[in-house]
Amino acid sequence: MFQIYLPIAEMPVNIFLILGMGGAVGFLSGMFGVGGGFLMTPLLIFTGIPPAVAVATQANQTIASSISGVVAHWRRSAVDFKMGGVLMIGGVIGAVGGVYLFAYVRALGQVDLMISLSYVLFLGVIGSLMLNESVRALIAVRQGRSPKSANRSHHSWIHGLPLKMRFRRSKLYISAIPPIAIGAFVGVLVAIMGVSGGFVMVPAMIYLLRMPTNVVIGTSLFQIIFVTALVTVLHAVENQAVDILLAFLLLLGGVVGAQFGARAGQKLAGEQLRALLGLIVLLVGLRLGFDLVVQPDELFSLTSAVTP
Amino acid sequence: MRLAAGILFLILAVLTARGALADQLVTDLSEHQISIRSNFTGTEILIFGAVEAEDPTDLATERDIVVVVTGPEGPVTVRRKDRVAGIWINYDAVRFERVPSFYSVSSTRPLTRIVSMDTRTIEGLGLRHIGLGAATGLSPTGAETTLQEDELKTFSQALLRNKQNQNLYRAEPSGVAFLGRSLFRATVDIPSNVPNGLYTAKVYLVSDGQITDAASAPLFVVKSGMERAIYAFAHEQPLLYGIFAVVFATFAGWAATLIFRD
Repeated sequence: MFQIYLPIAEMPVNIFLILGMGGAVGFLSGMFGVGGGFLMTPLLIFTGIPPAVAVATQANQTIASSISGVVAHWRRSAVDFKMGGVLMIGGVIGAVGGVYLFAYVRALGQVDLMISLSYVLFLGVIGSLMLNESVRALIAVRQGRSPKSANRSHHSWIHGLPLKMRFRRSKLYISAIPPIAIGAFVGVLVAIMGVSGGFVMVPAMIYLLRMPTNVVIGTSLFQIIFVTALVTVLHAVENQAVDILLAFLLLLGGVVGAQFGARAGQKLAGEQLRALLGLIVLLVGLRLGFDLVVQPDELFSLTSAVTP
Repeated sequence: MRLAAGILFLILAVLTARGALADQLVTDLSEHQISIRSNFTGTEILIFGAVEAEDPTDLATERDIVVVVTGPEGPVTVRRKDRVAGIWINYDAVRFERVPSFYSVSSTRPLTRIVSMDTRTIEGLGLRHIGLGAATGLSPTGAETTLQEDELKTFSQALLRNKQNQNLYRAEPSGVAFLGRSLFRATVDIPSNVPNGLYTAKVYLVSDGQITDAASAPLFVVKSGMERAIYAFAHEQPLLYGIFAVVFATFAGWAATLIFRD
């Protein structure tokens, strides 16, 4: 009755399950200001969507959420377009490399493994860091101290690199090489994990490039629109794995969820929420890792060659 | 209604048929095309027909009917997981070149009691006798390897088991019923996950252990509606499809900012 057949994933799904997942992840992303792709892709895999379709579709969905996010920052002129452009050069290189790596690993039959391993690694590290940081802050608040801010280390070697450029909006005069390298790394993540990569991009911009925090999120969102758009087209051409019906359902749930999440986030205390998000991220990572370690019931799997 | 008319037609055909030299089959399907739409949850087709016996008064001859429905063939890779450094990964594999995507065999009695082993092997009757085509062993890096006899058996059995779990291969040893001496009918389940393409429904008449006649009919399984259009677009025009997906998401994101502008 409420089943809908996904044309690219080639399976029926419950329409309310997908809308609900989109809504729940949208709620979290609105509340915490994170992209949510790193939670959505594993959830889709748990529902039985082929991992390749989950990643490619999530990249497609991220375009929409980034656009709706960047508009608000644009109005406050909190986007460094020149820095965004340089990051994008790296992003394009990383995205092309990532999608071809993806297609190659898929032909070897190991793409599910690659996706699971990258998620276990990233969710494990990020979940632990978030949980650790917020628990420390909670303890500090309870003991009456103000939570100490993260230590900004100096990266003087970055200032020694060639190809210096002036970024007026960010008030920076630095080499173009570090932004290109960061952009490329995030581009690979977008291609093989379907995430927006904000969880890597934003800290890298603050701590490595020393960009002012008010332009960081807008610039990150701006360049990710183009990188996810490129990844979507490349995944469509190389892997035929973008399911627009699935993307549409996730969007629908996500947009509504994000609005409620943003309102809820303003009313609730920050540190407990961050601890909760860290815990969720860690649990999803552990579940993916658990599936890799435990002996599966059926050791054999079938792949039909796609006949053109 | 169509079925009733068909059966009536067959009865008339049997009654008016004279001078047949050997036992012969007359068969038809309830439908020759199945359309898969978004609400498709599987269906069943009815295969019916009549035996025109050489001598209708001969009660000694044992007659059986076997109905085989096969889907389009294609290469399938069967991968086996193994534990490497503590995690389970796809390890070695075997590629079979001509695997039917769907196979259903129904009969009046268990096949082993109807026809000999040799006939089953030659005609591909029964799950164990499905022709899978040439097999190639593949190493974890994708290189071709020589395939041991027992390995081949393990992988082909795994293929059968997986296909049966997906409801794509099935055997119904009592799936064909005789209605009286000459009329028979069989229902074949078509699950929701069938691939599209040209299927063949083949009916065998077995008299005293020998195949005396066979008749086959085509069956088209067609994905239709929006799902088919999206699938065809994605596979035939992948670049345009990708650009369309980007434009679509851009528009959706922009629309969201308009709707939720404070």
